[in-house]
Formats: sequence, structure tokens, C-alpha cells
Amino acid sequence: MLPFSLKRDGIALRAFEPTDVHALYAYLNDPALEGRRYLPDGFPDLAPLSARHVEGILEHWQKESESWTLAVVDTTSGALLGHVRADWEWDPHCPSACVVIAPAQQRRGIGSAVLAVALAFLFEETPAHVVSGWVASWNEPALAFALHNRFSEAGRQPRGGLHAGSFYSHVALDLLRGEWTAMRERRYVA
Amino acid sequence: MSLEGKLVVLREERREDQRLFADLRNDLDTQAWPKGLPPDYTEEMHIKRLETREFSYERDSARLAIVEKASGRLAGFVSYTGEQHRLSASIGIVVSREFWGTGIGFDAQEVLLGFLFDELGLREVHLWTHSGISKAIALAGRSGFVECIRLRESVFKNGRLLDGVVMSLLREDYYARHTDKVDRLPKVA
Repeated sequence: MLPFSLKRDGIALRAFEPTDVHALYAYLNDPALEGRRYLPDGFPDLAPLSARHVEGILEHWQKESESWTLAVVDTTSGALLGHVRADWEWDPHCPSACVVIAPAQQRRGIGSAVLAVALAFLFEETPAHVVSGWVASWNEPALAFALHNRFSEAGRQPRGGLHAGSFYSHVALDLLRGEWTAMRERRYVA
Repeated sequence: MSLEGKLVVLREERREDQRLFADLRNDLDTQAWPKGLPPDYTEEMHIKRLETREFSYERDSARLAIVEKASGRLAGFVSYTGEQHRLSASIGIVVSREFWGTGIGFDAQEVLLGFLFDELGLREVHLWTHSGISKAIALAGRSGFVECIRLRESVFKNGRLLDGVVMSLLREDYYARHTDKVDRLPKVA
């Protein structure tokens, strides 16, 4: 079964459509998501986004060839819950993944479910050996989320930016194929 | 004032530099990343890249030729990319094999760092390398860089799995090593 066929706990993944612009605009502009929107380069991660910005983001995502960004949706209501991204543009040996869930939808297990899809895609459909992820050091929930999903902290690059009056670091995380395989096997046994 | 060290001058790259730059890119020892392969880059490709550059004040990267002062010979290049203005940038250095062990790489790196901290006012400079390039790690260490990230087995090169390594140098650590300089840039955090 291909990883995109995820339909679990009432969530599904699908391609973004132009009609998603309003729902995407709404959750990307949630103040709780500022600084952790995981947008393409050139789009502001802190300032409010305009509808034109969001159209540009959708257009950018739809042109990707060595990465994908998919919409996370509620299968019952069709509501947009977030986005998940896998990127192997630098080197398919060491791609990266990220998950963004609308603040109102967090802490329901959605992020872990869609991260599992991204990892299954990268490890089963591409020659990835290790998958990395990056979070800002102030984003403690994201760091806890990554560690909960068996990523290991690879270190911290200082002064990634300023947040609330202090410098923060870029925290690097990685997950080796062997660790992912072992994790999957343990889950099947359990 | 030019970008001048004890052994080198850093200057803008020129058309006549591009032969060596293509050679360095095609040398598996000086080309650190598999992304840069295969080693079939030509001088013409490099000249085209150089000549299609546009004038701009919106710069976040640069490549500067390293010229040995004593001989006037081209020795390689230094670069910085991804500059976040007044905050950080990533640097790179490539030195032609014949200049290895002469101190030119270190001097060029120091001149570049002086530019980034004194002129661009950066608060942090970092570099990406991998565990297979002990020379690069040692060279960075000589300028005060410390390893801050090690991404396990994220590089496959020369038939080996290697760790991706990020090394970082903070502004205050740079000035602490250069006691002849005074950092007059106010702290922001």
C-alpha cells in the first residue's frame, strides 16, 4: 500500500488545490504559528501573510519536482488541518521532512500520523539513508514532537535568528533508515 | 582598503580565474559535495555564470578569488552564501592543491572572517563540511570554529558514509581571538 493512501483517524493527505487558499491563509496567519510555518524561501515566516502571498506559496508548492508538500485534511468535514513536506532536492541520500499542523488541531496525534507518511514515502519510495528535520530552539513542542517520533538531536547551530528578544539556535535532528526500520518492526510486534 | 592578509589578497573574481575554478570543481578532493558532481564543468560554464551576474545592492553571497601576494598567483577562492543581513552567513573555501600546507588557506579564511564581522556586522558565521575532510575541520578550528551539528551518515562520498558537520564561530569569540580589534557593534540579545 502506498504511503499516500493514509486514511486514519479521520485524516487524509491530498494535493493542494487553488481553492485551498482561504483555509491556508487562515491557519498560516494564526499568530501561534509565526516563525514555524515552514514556507518556501522568500516568504515571510514572521509577518502577516497576504492572500497574494498564500497564492504564491501554493504556486511554489505546485511547481516542486524534488519535493512535495501535501494538504492534511479532515475526511469528514474536508477542513484543511495542516501541511506535510518531504524534500530530497539536495541529495536523495539525506532528505528532510517537516509537518505543520494548524494550532487549533494540534495535540490530536495528527502530526505523528502524517510524519509517518512522509517517512514511509522517503524510506520506501526513495533511496533515503537518513532523514533530517530542523526546528527553532524556542519551539519546544516541535522538538518534543521530533524526539517522540524517534529522531535524535544532531546539534544546534547558534544564532539562527532572534525570538522574543533572544537569539535562538537551529536544532538539527536526524533519523537513520535502520532506526526507522527497527521502529516499524517494534510497532508491528506490539 | 582592500581585503588583504599577511599572505593573500582577496579580490573580485575575473574571467581569467575561471579555468582554475573549473579545475577545482572537477577535482574530487577539492569538491566536497556529491551535489557538485559529475566532474565535467568547463571553463566556459564558469565564464557564463560570471558574466550573467547583474549589478545589485541586494547581495547575500559572494565569491572572492584568493591571490598569493608574493607571486600574484591565483590560489583558489573563498565564498559566503545565505547571508542573513547583520546576522549570519555560511562560508566556504577551496584552495588549489599546490598551495596546501602554505598557510594561504588560513590567511584567506581570516581575511574573509574579518570582512564578515567588521564590515557586514554578522553575529555568527558557520560552515558545512563532512567528517571525511579533516583538513577543513582543522582549518576551521584554527580560526575558532567549533563543531555544533553532526548529522550522522548524511554524506556518501569516496565510497564511504560520512557525517555532515556544521561548525560555528560567534562574533564575540572572533573578537576575543583578535585582541587588536574592538567590537563596537552593540549587542542585540
